[in-house]
Amino acid sequence: MAEKSFDVVVLGGGPGGYTAAIRAAQLGMKTGIIERDRLGGVCLNWGCIPTKALLKNAEVLQTFRRGEEWGISYDNLKVDFGKIIKRSRVVSEKIVKGVEYLMRKNKIEHIPGYGVLLGNGAIEIRAEGKPDEKVTAKHIVVATGARPRTIPGVPIDRKRVISSTEAMSLTDQPKSMIVIGAGAIGIEFAYFYNAVGTKVTVVEMMPSILPVEDAELTKMMEASLKKQGIEILTQAKVESVNPGSNDVTVTVTAADGKKELKGDVALMAIGVQGNVENFGLEKLGVTVERGHVRVDSDYRTNIPGVYAIGDVIGPPWLAHVASAEGVHCIEAIAGKKPAAIDYSSIPGCTYCQPQIASVGLTEEKAKAEGYELKIGRFPFRPLGKAVAIGEAEGMVKLIFDAKYGELLGAHIMGAEATEMIHELVMAKKLETTGKEIFHTIHAHPTLSEAVMEAAAAAYGEAINI
Amino acid sequence: MARIEVVMPQMGESIAEGTIVKWHKKVGDRVKKDETLLEISTDKVDSEIPSPAAGVLAEIVVPEQKTVAVRTVIAYLEAEGGAVAAEASRPTVPSAMETPKPIAMAPAPISAAPAITPLAAPASGRFYSPLVLNIAREEGIAMNELELIPGTGEGGRASKKDILAYVAAKKSGAIAAPSSPSVSKATSAGILAKPVDVPELRGKYPAPDFEILQMSNVLQKMAEHMVKSVATSPHVAAIHEVDMTNVVKHRGAHAIEFEKKEGFKLTFTPYIVEAVSRAIKKYPLVNTSIEGDKIIKKNFINIGIAVASENGLIVPVIKNAEEKNFLGLARAVNDLATRTRAKKLTPDDIQGGTFTISNYGVFGTMIGTPIINQPQVAIIGTGAIKKRVVVIDDAIAIRSMAYFTMSFDHRIVDGALGGMFLEEVVQYLQNFDINLKF
Repeated sequence: MAEKSFDVVVLGGGPGGYTAAIRAAQLGMKTGIIERDRLGGVCLNWGCIPTKALLKNAEVLQTFRRGEEWGISYDNLKVDFGKIIKRSRVVSEKIVKGVEYLMRKNKIEHIPGYGVLLGNGAIEIRAEGKPDEKVTAKHIVVATGARPRTIPGVPIDRKRVISSTEAMSLTDQPKSMIVIGAGAIGIEFAYFYNAVGTKVTVVEMMPSILPVEDAELTKMMEASLKKQGIEILTQAKVESVNPGSNDVTVTVTAADGKKELKGDVALMAIGVQGNVENFGLEKLGVTVERGHVRVDSDYRTNIPGVYAIGDVIGPPWLAHVASAEGVHCIEAIAGKKPAAIDYSSIPGCTYCQPQIASVGLTEEKAKAEGYELKIGRFPFRPLGKAVAIGEAEGMVKLIFDAKYGELLGAHIMGAEATEMIHELVMAKKLETTGKEIFHTIHAHPTLSEAVMEAAAAAYGEAINI
Repeated sequence: MARIEVVMPQMGESIAEGTIVKWHKKVGDRVKKDETLLEISTDKVDSEIPSPAAGVLAEIVVPEQKTVAVRTVIAYLEAEGGAVAAEASRPTVPSAMETPKPIAMAPAPISAAPAITPLAAPASGRFYSPLVLNIAREEGIAMNELELIPGTGEGGRASKKDILAYVAAKKSGAIAAPSSPSVSKATSAGILAKPVDVPELRGKYPAPDFEILQMSNVLQKMAEHMVKSVATSPHVAAIHEVDMTNVVKHRGAHAIEFEKKEGFKLTFTPYIVEAVSRAIKKYPLVNTSIEGDKIIKKNFINIGIAVASENGLIVPVIKNAEEKNFLGLARAVNDLATRTRAKKLTPDDIQGGTFTISNYGVFGTMIGTPIINQPQVAIIGTGAIKKRVVVIDDAIAIRSMAYFTMSFDHRIVDGALGGMFLEEVVQYLQNFDINLKF
């Protein structure tokens, strides 16, 4: 049996894994990456990227429907659901090809198959139609990601009860859909399906949609989505999910009692769980806690030579966090002593329209942590640019510590929020205070002027309101 | 309400009088503590004089353009309440009630933070985030103190986390004054770099052409301290030539007798320590450290001697050199040298230095530029003693010569003081009494 040896082998080709592999190769390590499916992981194949393609369709549709506002009218606006899905697959394919190219460019060996850790740096590669192969590595980075979680006792049958994977590759557009869970994934699909004409009901156990976001903004968001036609039930507990032959019945208990919801499909979007089973972690004795691998701040597990990054180590389950962890993990292996990742400065984005993007603490959390706050708000409505482009719905909310002036949290709802958030992520990372933000000249006319004005508002110095 | 005298300050030891250039406040004006009250001019410097307290300028005794002797009362302040001193150092929000004429001024309760005393620019060029600077201001941490806080952020930056940890440690009393290079663990750690296998570096530096060695703790510590010192103190080096002939002769004449009597060899070190100790008595400003905008003057002289040991650089300290005569210094030097070699130094032996001597001359070095041992402000390096042809009174002579370098912190020691101090050391050695008995 031919046995290849590597400096680093990454298990899993998602955004965490492939980024780690590239960094390792850049640092001169002989690197391999094991992936049984396409490179790119959930993010590129079944997550971030294809959904953004779908959401753009929804956005374009929304804009067409508002054509009259701009003096553009047409008859016979049609939606081809099949083409929309196909476009999203093409987009995904393109980006995945890009990752394959990056592997070749960096001379990283893509080992197709299912990797099983054998201990002492050995990994068995199982691939269909091929004899098992063995490779060894000085350092093994586990980046196996996570998969959709479901409610106990409710199996995802992929027909009536579906996960996000099915939701982005349905052949027929459902007439109605019940979305269970109002996190980013649930809300994005609710927005998309509602826009293309499906009747959507969202069920959320928590008091508000997007429960990790600032309550003031999610309240505005909820109103906006309801206005678009989405039915939203919060503080509603799912009691049972009964798939039938033509539809599915979801029974919920809400504040106003028990309800039976019927839909063509139910989308399970309550979160994800780490992929920690059946590839040797147990055998090696790697510590797994609550479904996630436990690591230290350099992403080392308790077993020397075995590291873990990304969704498999737990929340926040975000591609950009996985990538950052991958880079850090490799640099630590190379002895570069990278600065620890600051988990308080990670942007979170939800890509419906209007969008929500945030970094740092919400008002509720900041208060709970005992900060005395100075809060600045600035709505989109007075902004020339927002009115000109017809996107006046939105707000920037900045939360500062009253004592030292630190930017504790930034929350944006509105068009382009997911692009606008980054100056605030940078500001937070560089430890600026509100003053530097509003003394930074922002171009006019832009939506980003709202960021400057919100910071000024915290100091009582906003101009255009 | 207390009436406070404002006097013409003494702007330097040799300055006897000053001229008032401009009063920045009129009688009746409110003035904050440390706000500029007036400008004065002396024959050496022009300077802005801050108000000694918060209050109202009650009376101007000496008008502009008039010259008076130092310590003359030039004005009176009417201080507010009893809590003058306590309140004045902290920037406060001026309340509306304090404003005598409440003219159309938009009430800006949050933004009206008064001008905050800016921190000095970092000498190291190290980046401090606005937040870190805010915290430093709020917690009264001066720039030079900030410069010493170890950073865990990007590129070694001191982040919010680092400064808050420092503030917490300081409040709990866990942090004392920055200490001299810590080598207490030296004996166990060892200086010898051990070969290590770092596969990722191996690719770049293949064997056998390259070896990869681990820096020991002592080496890492030394690296850290040296970088920190250079970053903290603007180093200036003054190099003087010293005629060691008398010292060499004295030592030669007494070496055998000394060893017989004392049981150890007479070295050059006690001569130099004595010379330095005497010079410090004359120029005590080199025996200080800096804390913010304050000078900490030490009324004792603890002289560290940099020693290269197998465990790395160690700086054992001769305590209270000012109290010891030549023999006492010689014994102290020998005691430390013996215990350094025997690895018997205690942590106390390497702490509390106020000035350092580095004798790199033993390695044949003629001229060096030593790095200051923080938080001290000066260090003397002694070069090798060699016989050279020199000119004395227009005659050619053969003398035992050496170059001494003094590196000093120009934040506090200027070229004049540095030069005078070193020359004092030189003169003492040069004119050493050959007939001195122990």
